[in-house]
Amino acid sequence: MTDVASSLEALAKRLAAAVEAANDEQALEAARVRYLGRNGEVTAIRRSIGRLAPADRPGAGKTINDAVAAMERVLDERRAGLAARDVEAALAHRIDVTFPAQPPALGTIHPIRRVIDDACAYFERHGFAVVLGPEVEPDYYNFDALNIPPGHPAREGFDSFWIDDTLLLRPHTSPMQIRTMQMHKPPIAIVAPGRCYRRDAVDARHLFQFHQIEGLLVDRGIHFGHLKGMLTGLCRTLFGAYQEVRFRPSYFPFTEPSAEVDTTCPKCTGHASACSMCGGSGWIELGGAGMVHPNVLREVGYDADAVCGWAFGFGAERLALVRYDVDDIRRFVDSDPDFLEQLGTIS
Amino acid sequence: MKVPISWLREFVELPAESNAIAQRLAMLGFPVEEIVRRPVIEGVVVGRLAEVDRHPNADRLFVCVVDVGDDAPLTIATAATNVAAGQIVPVARIGARLPNLRIERRTMRGIVSEGMLCSPDELALDPQWFDADGIMQLDESLPIGGDAVALLGLRDDVLDVEITSNRVDAMSVIGLARELAASYGVPLRLPSFVNAAKKPAEPAPRVGIASADCSYFVVQRFDHVHVGRSCARVRVRLALCGVRPLSSIVDVSNYVMLETGEPLHFYDAGSVQGGLVARDALPDEVLTTLDGVTRALDPKVLVIADESRALGVAGVMGGSSSEVGERTTSILLEAAAFAGARIRRSAQFVGLRTEASSRHERSVPPALADAACARAAQMLVELGAVAYAPVCAGSVHSAPRLSLTQHDVERTLGQVLAPGRIASHLRALGCEVDDRSEVLQVLPPAWRADLTIPADLVEEIARMEGYDAIEAVVPAVTAHDVSSREYERERQAARVMAALGYHETITYSLRARGGEGSVALRNPLSEEQRYLRSAIEPALLDDLARIGRPFRLFEIGHVFASEGGIVVEVPLLSMAVAGEQTNEPAWSDAQFIRLKGDLQAFLRELTGNAGSVRPVQRAGLHPGKTAGLSIGDVDVALFGRVEPRAERDRGASFPLYAGSVRLDRLGDTLRPRYRPPSRFPSTYRDLALAVGVEVSAESVEAATAHAIGDICTAVRVFDEYRGPQIEQGHKSIAVRAVMQRFDGTITDEEADAAVARAAATLHERLGATVRV
Ligand SMILES: [Zn+2]
Repeated sequence: MTDVASSLEALAKRLAAAVEAANDEQALEAARVRYLGRNGEVTAIRRSIGRLAPADRPGAGKTINDAVAAMERVLDERRAGLAARDVEAALAHRIDVTFPAQPPALGTIHPIRRVIDDACAYFERHGFAVVLGPEVEPDYYNFDALNIPPGHPAREGFDSFWIDDTLLLRPHTSPMQIRTMQMHKPPIAIVAPGRCYRRDAVDARHLFQFHQIEGLLVDRGIHFGHLKGMLTGLCRTLFGAYQEVRFRPSYFPFTEPSAEVDTTCPKCTGHASACSMCGGSGWIELGGAGMVHPNVLREVGYDADAVCGWAFGFGAERLALVRYDVDDIRRFVDSDPDFLEQLGTIS
Repeated sequence: MKVPISWLREFVELPAESNAIAQRLAMLGFPVEEIVRRPVIEGVVVGRLAEVDRHPNADRLFVCVVDVGDDAPLTIATAATNVAAGQIVPVARIGARLPNLRIERRTMRGIVSEGMLCSPDELALDPQWFDADGIMQLDESLPIGGDAVALLGLRDDVLDVEITSNRVDAMSVIGLARELAASYGVPLRLPSFVNAAKKPAEPAPRVGIASADCSYFVVQRFDHVHVGRSCARVRVRLALCGVRPLSSIVDVSNYVMLETGEPLHFYDAGSVQGGLVARDALPDEVLTTLDGVTRALDPKVLVIADESRALGVAGVMGGSSSEVGERTTSILLEAAAFAGARIRRSAQFVGLRTEASSRHERSVPPALADAACARAAQMLVELGAVAYAPVCAGSVHSAPRLSLTQHDVERTLGQVLAPGRIASHLRALGCEVDDRSEVLQVLPPAWRADLTIPADLVEEIARMEGYDAIEAVVPAVTAHDVSSREYERERQAARVMAALGYHETITYSLRARGGEGSVALRNPLSEEQRYLRSAIEPALLDDLARIGRPFRLFEIGHVFASEGGIVVEVPLLSMAVAGEQTNEPAWSDAQFIRLKGDLQAFLRELTGNAGSVRPVQRAGLHPGKTAGLSIGDVDVALFGRVEPRAERDRGASFPLYAGSVRLDRLGDTLRPRYRPPSRFPSTYRDLALAVGVEVSAESVEAATAHAIGDICTAVRVFDEYRGPQIEQGHKSIAVRAVMQRFDGTITDEEADAAVARAAATLHERLGATVRV
C-alpha cells in the first residue's frame, strides 16, 4: 500500500468518526470543509502527488479521487440521515388545535345595510343602477308628481314631518322615481335605497325613521309579470331558494294596477300556527308595488302610450327583521355591540 | 271596518268557513285585519214570558212561565229584576251551550228551573249597549221558539276589513258583498233601492247648495214618526259592527250607512226653519254638535244650515238644536255628496272624526244618496212613518265611458285574455260593457268613482282573474345611462370602515337640540326629536358612553343645515371611538394617531390619496388634539379627541374621539399606475435631532426631503422624546431618510453628503441641531 493510500485510509476513518459525531447540518459542513474543503486535508495529500515518480502519479490521482468519492458518499448519507431525522422530529409535534384564537379586531356592516346591499347587488346583476337622493324633499316630489295632489286622502296616510308649507322629510323613497325620470330618458332601471320618515310612535314594530328600497323599471314592453319575476328573485336572494311571492290587490295613487307584496314566511314556511314572524298566516308583508300610473309617466314628460313601467317600495327594516329573525325593530337603532357583532359582517 | 259575515250572507251565498271568506277578501284587495270570533252558542230560543211571579221561597228570585213554542211552557227561575210578563227574551233550554256554561236542569229554592233566561253578556254582546240591568229584550219580530242565535246573526264571525282609500263604495256591507259575489261568480241579492214615496210633502222642504264642495243634496220628509227602540235584529247588527244602538231613528241612519256606505242624517223637522242648505260657515258662527260640545266655526268648515243658523257640520256631525228626540214626530232626512278634501278640512278644523266623516272624506259617490234614501224610507215606513217624495239639489253626473282593448290588458298584465272574458269580469262588478267591436266601451257603475282610466279597468280585470294568475317573468333590462357612483362610494366607505375595525350603526336623524342654522320640524312627535341633525358624532358619542367600554362606531348618513332659508343636505361618514385608558405624557396621544391612520387609510382606499393633516380648532373637540385632513385644497375630514368637559358631561369612563368625512367632497378615485422598482439597492440614514417642541413632524419630513432632493424616496419621523435629558422647550426626534437611484447604486459618500445637506437645512429652517 502506498503512502498516499494509507494516509487516505486514515483520513477516511477520521472523517467517518467526525461524520458520525456530527449531530446537525452545521457540524457536518464543518467536517466536510476540514477534510474535503479547498484547504482541507485531502487537498494536502493531493499536493503531495507532485513528489511521486511521474509513473505513479496517475494511479495516485485515481486513488485520491476514489477516496474522495467514498468520503462524499459518507457525508451525503449522513446528511440524508440527519434530514430524515429532522422530518421525523417535526412530524412528532402535537399542538392543541382547540386552543382559542385571538380574533382579529374587525368591524361590522349594519344588518340594514347588508339587506340593502344584497338587494341592490341582485338588481345590479340584472342591469339596474342604484341611485341615492335627498331626505328633505318638496311636496312636489313626494306627492304632486306622484299623482297625489293637495287634498288627496292618500297624503294623510303618509303622516309626514313637515319643515314648512312645502318641504318635508320624505315619507317614502318614491321621489327618486320622479328625480331619475326627469334627469334621464327611458329606459330607466333603478333601485333607490334610503332613509325615510313618518310620524309613527316608536314601539317594537315601528320607528319614525326607517329605510326603503325603491325600484323602478320603465321601458317598452314592461308588464306586471316582470314585476313578479324580479321580486320573486329578490325574495329568493334575500331569504332562500324556495321563497314564493304573492301579490294582493291594493291602492297607491302612483301605480295602477297596484299590489301588496307578500312572501312565504321563511321561519315557519307556513307550517306553524303560532309563528312569531307571520302570526301563523304563513305570509310576510313586504310592501307595495304596481305598474307606474300613466299620470306619473306624463308628469315627467314620458309618452305613456309608448312606455310602461313598474315600481315597488319595500321597507328594509322589515326585510332585515325577517331575514335575521330580529324580535324588536328598535334594536336596529340601539348601537348594541352584541347585536352589531351577531348580525354584522365586514362585507 | 267591522262586517258581520251573517249580514254579508243576506246578499250573497258564501262558504261556511270564515277563514276562506277572509282569504278571498284579501286576494280582492281587502285585507282582513282580524277575524273576530263568535263563541259557540247553541240551544237558545226565542221565548215569551207568559207569567212572571215572585219566587215563593226567595225574595230575590222570579219564577217565569215561558212559552217557547212547545206544547208545554217551561218554568224558569231567574234572579234578573227586569223581567215582566209579555216580554220576548232569549231562553237557553236544558242542554244549551253558552260561553263557559252548559245549561242543566236545577232546583232553585224548591222550584225546578228548566232553563235560563239570557242576559246580553251571556250571548257575548256588550251589556252596556243592550240591557245592562238584566235579561236581553227581544221583540215581536222574532218567531217564538225560533233559534235566537240564527235569527239574530250571532253565530257567524265578524270580519274587521281594511278598505283602501279609493274604495269608499266598499266601506259597506253591500259593497263587500258585491265584490265577493263577483269573485265567486254567484248572484248578488240586493234589496230594492227604488224610493216608493211619490207624494210631495206640503209644503215641500226646500233644499239648496251654496258651496262648490257639495255636488248633490237630497232631502226627504217623514211624518208620523215614532222614536222608540229598534228591533233586536237591527240592534245586534249595529253592535256587531261596533256601532252603539241608540233610538229607532238614529239606528236607521247608521244601519243604512253600514249597509250602503252612504252616511245619512236626520233632523227634527220642527226645529228646522225654512229649508236646508249646504254652505260655508260664517266667520263668527258657533254650533253645539251632538256630542254636546259648542264649537266656534270658520269659513273653512262646510255646514248644513237652515235659514237662520248652522244645524250641523256637513258630513261630520249634526247639531243638538235639531236633534231627533223622543218627542219628534216629523223628520227631514239628509243624504248628500261632498268633496272629500273639504270634509277632511272641516273635520280637522272641528277636531272630529266620525263614521260619517271617514266615508265622506273619501268622496262618497252622489249616486249612493238616492239609493240610501230609498232604503231608509223603506225602513221608516216599516216603522209606521209616512214618507214624502224626496227633493234634491245639484246633480249626479254620470261617469265617463272608457275604451278598452284586449291589447291594453295584455300590455299591462303580460297575459292574453279573450274579450268575452274581459267583458264578463267587468260586468260582474257592475260595469255596462258594449263589446260589439274590438274596442270595448265600458261604463263604470255609478258607485265606482275610482274607475276613470283604462288602467283602472285593467286592475279590475286582474283582481277578478286573481293576481295569483299573473305569471312571473324576468325582464331583460336594456342598457341605460344612470350611474351608481354615489351608492358605490357609500358601500365602499362602509366596507373600508368595517375592515378598519369600526362597527356600523344607525342613530336617529332627529335630535332634541339644535343650534344656529339647524332645521326644525313643524310637527315633531316630541321635543326630543324637533331638530334635523347637523352632526352625527353627538349621537355616536352618547351611544359609546352608554356602551361603557372601548368600542368603535361609525354611521353614514345625511346632516342638515339651513343656509339662507335653503335646506342644505350633506352625506357624511362619522366615526366615534371609545379608547383605552392610557397613561401618556401631555404631548402624546397614540389613539389620536391611530384614528389619523385609520382616516388616512380610508381616504387612500376611497380616493387613492391619503390627504394631508393640519391642526384645526372645532367646538366640542380638544383644542390641542384636533386635525383636519385635506386632499389638494379641499377639506374632506376633521377628527380629534373629544373636549374633556364634553367627555365628562357624557359620563364617559374612556377617552372619546370623533371624526367625520365629507363623502360629497371625495373626488374620483385615482387609478393607481404601476412603477417598477429600481434595479439598484436603496440605502438609508437616520438623524437624531433636537428641535423646539412647536416644530411639527411634517415640517421636519418636508425639509429633509427637500434638502436631499430627487434621490430621497421616503422620509419618516419615527420617534419622539421629551424629558430631563432634553433642553427645556425642546424635544428629540428621529427621522429616517431612504435614498435610491434608478441609474446606479448610491454610494456611502453620496448618502452622507445628502444627510449633511438635510442637517444644514433643518438647522437653518427649523433651528434643529443634530444630536450625537
Ligand atoms: Zn311564519
